Amino acid sequence: MIQKKVCLLGTSGVGKTSLVAQFVHSMFSEKYLTTVGVKIDKKTVRVGDEDVMLMIWDLAGDDDFQRLQTSYLRGTSGFLLVADGTRAVTLDQVLELKTRVEGSMGSAPFLLALNKADLAPQWEVDEARIAGLAADGWHVIKTSAKAGEQVEDAFTELARRMIAAS
Amino acid sequence: MPHPSPANAVLETLGYALFLRGGDGSLREAGESPQWLRSLWPALEKDGAVLPIEDASPFLENFLIDAEACWQEGGEQRARSGPWVEETGGGERVELEATAMTASGQAVLLIERLGAEFAAKKNVLQKARETVIAHQRLNSEIQKKEILLHCVADEMTATLANIVTSLRLIEAEDNPPRTKVLLGLATRGTEDQQRLISRVLDVFSEEMGTIYGGKMANGNAADFWTALSQSVEMVEGAFADKGVKLTRSIGEKDTLRVPVEASHLERVLTGLLENALERASAGGAVEIAVEDEADSLLCRVTDSAPRMSGEAYDDLFSTFGMPTAGSHASAVRLHFCRIVIESCGGEIGCEPGETSGNSFWIRLPKVVAK
Repeated sequence: MIQKKVCLLGTSGVGKTSLVAQFVHSMFSEKYLTTVGVKIDKKTVRVGDEDVMLMIWDLAGDDDFQRLQTSYLRGTSGFLLVADGTRAVTLDQVLELKTRVEGSMGSAPFLLALNKADLAPQWEVDEARIAGLAADGWHVIKTSAKAGEQVEDAFTELARRMIAAS
Repeated sequence: MPHPSPANAVLETLGYALFLRGGDGSLREAGESPQWLRSLWPALEKDGAVLPIEDASPFLENFLIDAEACWQEGGEQRARSGPWVEETGGGERVELEATAMTASGQAVLLIERLGAEFAAKKNVLQKARETVIAHQRLNSEIQKKEILLHCVADEMTATLANIVTSLRLIEAEDNPPRTKVLLGLATRGTEDQQRLISRVLDVFSEEMGTIYGGKMANGNAADFWTALSQSVEMVEGAFADKGVKLTRSIGEKDTLRVPVEASHLERVLTGLLENALERASAGGAVEIAVEDEADSLLCRVTDSAPRMSGEAYDDLFSTFGMPTAGSHASAVRLHFCRIVIESCGGEIGCEPGETSGNSFWIRLPKVVAK
């Protein structure tokens, strides 16, 4: 079976761990528990006629308290960039993080998950900005780890892109 | 059963497992495996077992590349993996950290089960990150409210300036009694606006409690009919000027109190009427309808303008979204209405009118007299 390493990148509190918990275990917790370090989970997705085993590296949020260790990204086939749609600043941070990561290890397939789509009234990232990213070739998916919306789709689409790139 | 060596006993007590790197690259455990390690990797049951890296942990497999570089360098170099989490077969989470070093010429890998110290560090990080997130949200809210404050104040100041100019021009003329009455109304409107600007500024500069989620004492609840009557009086002249007919479908009853400060409610209703007037074409009509529901009241302001698109309905009350229909002033007005209505537990929306036009509605909870 094809195996692909996926790293989740984003600042703290955007819902990386919740996305993995929803995708792998179909679980969601309202309580925010910060990730310190790395947790690896596995899940198989179907891409075309092939099963792809995703090794999902849930990395601690990159912020002033903890910087991302680029050695964790070694051998990564793709990135799931995660931002919190209710905090526009987290989108700026993940864009900056992507630039930093690509500077140190080159480019790889990626996808941007704008998480917390269930909190639409508090949404700060406007459609114009999303359209701008799409125009730049970004694939943006609005996800909700809480409701499970588009979570499976995000990982499957990333797997498809990784297979296409390999 | 043989006793472990004192060194091994100390390592186990401290939560460490020690592995020695062999010439073939394998990592062989020195001494007996601690229970937590065996629960993670049952292959380590036997003394001196080899760590099954590839099956054991993708994280460790990745770290061993850094460890190898450290061992090649030798000396006092150390490589630390940083914390990571493994799960036992029973689902228990075990937090670990690995360190690679060279001791007496021997390449060594220490795996530590992180304990209370790590938990304390994690706790501090948790609090720090919660604070950062709360700070970001607060900043964002303050920014939005500051923008809103300036928009509302600008809009009102411009309106006020127009009124003042008009009043002065009219006052300079020889006015019949009816005009004097109208002047009186306009003057009152001006004063109300001035008071409102002052109040809004006060509210924003202090704590915004009344507008934003503050609990309102029943005694301060507004009478809906009074507020509606004041609002209609305020806009009637403008409707007449544009030739737009304002009709009411109201089954007026006794006092009906709603949990909104009177001047804010008046401003909301005036805002909805001004919005409808702005949309209506000359000769058109606007209808105000009020329905008394069990625990709430529903007020609709329906215009005769062309119906908006579905997207426009969605965007009308969005937070500082560019209006897809109507002017900027209209967007600010509607946003103000939304804040006031939602902060008192009400709802606001817009939908196509029954036969034509657009129907803006607010639903307000009633205040039950004790």
